[in-house]
Amino acid sequence: MNTHTATTARTRGENPGSTRLLTSAPPGTHGRHAAPAGHRDHPAHRAERGTNLTGLGTLLRFMLRRDRWRLPLWVLGLSAMAAYFSNAIALVLDGSSLEAMTVFAKNPVMGLITGPGYGFDDITVPRFIVGMYGVFLMLGAALMSILTISRHTRSEEQTGRAELVRADVTGRHTQLIAALVLTLGMNVLVALGTTVAFAASEAEPRPFSSALLFGASIGAVGWVFAGVAAVTAQLSAFARACSGIAGAILAVFFIVRGLGDMSAVQGGDLEWLSWLSPLGWAQQTAPFTLDRWWPLLLCVGLLVVLVPVALALQSKRDLAAGILPDRLGRPTASAALSSPFALALRLQRSSLLWWSLGVLIMGVVFGSFTSAMAESADGMPPEILAIMGGADGIVDGYLGFMGLYFAIIVAVFALISAGGLRAEEQGFRTEPVLATGVSRPGWMLAWASVSFLGALLLMALGGFGEGFGAAASTGDWDLLGPTFVGHLAQTPAIWALLGIAFLAYGIVPRVMGIGWIVFAASAVLAFFGTMLQLDEAILDLSVFVHIGQYPSVDLEPAAIAWLTAGGIVLTLIGAVGFRRRNLITA
Amino acid sequence: MTVQTSTADRTTTPHTSAAIEMTAVVKTYGRVRALDGLTLSVARGEVHGFLGPNGAGKSTTIRILLGILRSDAGRISLLGENPWSHAVSLHRRLAYVPGDVELWPGLTGGEAIDLFSRLRGGVDTAKRDELIERFDLDPRKKGRTYSKGNRQKVALISALASNVELLLLDEPTAGLDPLMEAVFQECIREAKDQGRTVLLSSHILAQVEALADRVSIIRAGRIVETGALADLRHLSRTTVTVQVEKDIPQLTTMTGVHDLVREGPQLHFSADTAQLPGIMRALGEHDIRSLTATPPTLEQLLLRHYGSEDR
Repeated sequence: MNTHTATTARTRGENPGSTRLLTSAPPGTHGRHAAPAGHRDHPAHRAERGTNLTGLGTLLRFMLRRDRWRLPLWVLGLSAMAAYFSNAIALVLDGSSLEAMTVFAKNPVMGLITGPGYGFDDITVPRFIVGMYGVFLMLGAALMSILTISRHTRSEEQTGRAELVRADVTGRHTQLIAALVLTLGMNVLVALGTTVAFAASEAEPRPFSSALLFGASIGAVGWVFAGVAAVTAQLSAFARACSGIAGAILAVFFIVRGLGDMSAVQGGDLEWLSWLSPLGWAQQTAPFTLDRWWPLLLCVGLLVVLVPVALALQSKRDLAAGILPDRLGRPTASAALSSPFALALRLQRSSLLWWSLGVLIMGVVFGSFTSAMAESADGMPPEILAIMGGADGIVDGYLGFMGLYFAIIVAVFALISAGGLRAEEQGFRTEPVLATGVSRPGWMLAWASVSFLGALLLMALGGFGEGFGAAASTGDWDLLGPTFVGHLAQTPAIWALLGIAFLAYGIVPRVMGIGWIVFAASAVLAFFGTMLQLDEAILDLSVFVHIGQYPSVDLEPAAIAWLTAGGIVLTLIGAVGFRRRNLITA
Repeated sequence: MTVQTSTADRTTTPHTSAAIEMTAVVKTYGRVRALDGLTLSVARGEVHGFLGPNGAGKSTTIRILLGILRSDAGRISLLGENPWSHAVSLHRRLAYVPGDVELWPGLTGGEAIDLFSRLRGGVDTAKRDELIERFDLDPRKKGRTYSKGNRQKVALISALASNVELLLLDEPTAGLDPLMEAVFQECIREAKDQGRTVLLSSHILAQVEALADRVSIIRAGRIVETGALADLRHLSRTTVTVQVEKDIPQLTTMTGVHDLVREGPQLHFSADTAQLPGIMRALGEHDIRSLTATPPTLEQLLLRHYGSEDR
């Protein structure tokens, strides 16, 4: 069967545009219902098709089968985010509070993060949603594209599964093209889903065509990054590096348009920078204000350039190889790498470095909102003011609240770090370590120390950045010390969560997810509990509400001691449990 | 070359106990009995071949010896101590090579070798460098870029470079090419000369035949045969082919003769090795043109035990 695909003829310069690919007969169906080979097409024409794209339909169906949960989760997740933003804003903000929030939103630092703020001078709820939250949905779509492309192309090559697929009757580019078709399709669904979610929300965006433009802008960013990821997937032999490069490109585009938008908000002359970024193009559509469709053509145009580049790079390289050379490392270990703690630190080093950088920058950025906060306090909706400690103590209230905010962010690092210990065991890398002179509690506590101290370090960096930003924006350097202390003092809440995670790891690693559940419940209670007027006893279930949001509220030394002791004791019990259970082995 | 000989000094001191002593060890996973009353003894200073098919319980046995898995019943003594309760102190005296080595993607092979050796209690850099040379490994590459065979080399070099009394090797050369296999065999002979004990789990029979002093065969969680290779051969059958002028009727009734087949002028049969002298005498009374007798291979030894599953 499939005799016509056995040809070795290769034709270059085939147009890889997606429309043509979608309409050409999926060659994977030939075996089942095609007319006998040679009767349907001219042989040369079949050879052209049968070389690079054979098996497209089959592979695409296979990818849909693999992503039968992942695809709907991405699409529905992003749509749900859109629904949440638009309903929440429409319900919380009324006319006057909307204007007060817009004053805050027109802050240059806010421009750096969210966008150019089209229509903020004559604010409406849909304009506010588009201007403030659109970029986050675009980032979501970009991440979806990067991860989906990587998953179906480079990950497959790295694991060696692509070799089996390629050895079958499939073309050189089939897998990449199928992944692109899949990802572009997902983005179309995301565009439609966010449009519908937005259009049906309490925000009541009118006209519908503007809501559709908003959805299309989100999908267009996803399309561009499908192309970016298709190119970066050719560069390194490792999926993580490929996604990392694509993520770095996303970050650069984000910052470039951020600088342009900041300049635009300030009335500076660097506005043109926004036009150098696909995120900028998508935001320049300005739904509900200018309603321009044409910037999206730039996105499509970039995709049309990127896809042939990806295909050309793929044709130039060997299967499973990268374009970039793999760097060699040290032939021997440094003198420091000689203890379980050193190993645990080494394995978490790059993650810790990136988190440190991120937390520090976030601290400075959020800290520098302090003066804008103080100015806009009077017009804020009472729900939000209540969280921040009221109009009088807004500066202390804001900085205290940010301590909680950072504790929740750093808790994510801590739980990921704790999960890394389980990943080591599941990857069968713990067994050879324990086969040396390292005891089980020794290994587990070494890893836990890195998690505990890492959380402390990140809170210190976040607190320093926040205090620095606050002091710099207000000129009041007395803010630095208390803000630092207030952030650092939140760390025991994270330690308590770590205690739960490590307890689970030591005894029943399967249920380590409990740490995440307690975290999520605690975060929701801490953020929304007061707003929902929940009972004190229920609020107290959150690990985040006991320490006190210093400097607006006094610290509770007893809570700090209890949470610290709880985290440590639970971890030690986990270590005893780990001593007693079987190790996961190959 | 400065190859340290301290190991030899340490391991040649007299020991009262065997290196490994397992008695009636049971390990169950739910309803599956992975080890079903396993009894295994390995003397100090010997290379002990541990043979069996996949799933027979070889890796489970070794992991129980490492204290990584806990046995449900039975007595275990490793270098005179309980491996579950004294895991850490024992691990300083042994090195382990799994059949499927996983390395950290971001650490180089050289870093992993040093790390394992140091966590075990120190690295003999001269010995390490010599082994890296002999096994032809590039230690500068990252763990994620190594092939299976190269990951195996990393674990082997780290184990062989350590001054330990006992080597627990679980199919250590799966993925190595024949050249490296030869290097490995040399290294094991050197380890034996230095007085180390080696438990070599394998299903490469030629490797075990070349290296092992004694062999234990495991099947379905039990040791079904154990002893020196020569003794085991004695218990099994020799393949005999004779060319004769005419039939030898008494062969069909003679004890110890099995699977007698006639092929033209040739008679093929297998004979219990213990009965061989009697059979030879009986054959001597007839006109025999030629005779070949092939001693049993390890493969036949094994097949004798595993083949019975199909009967």
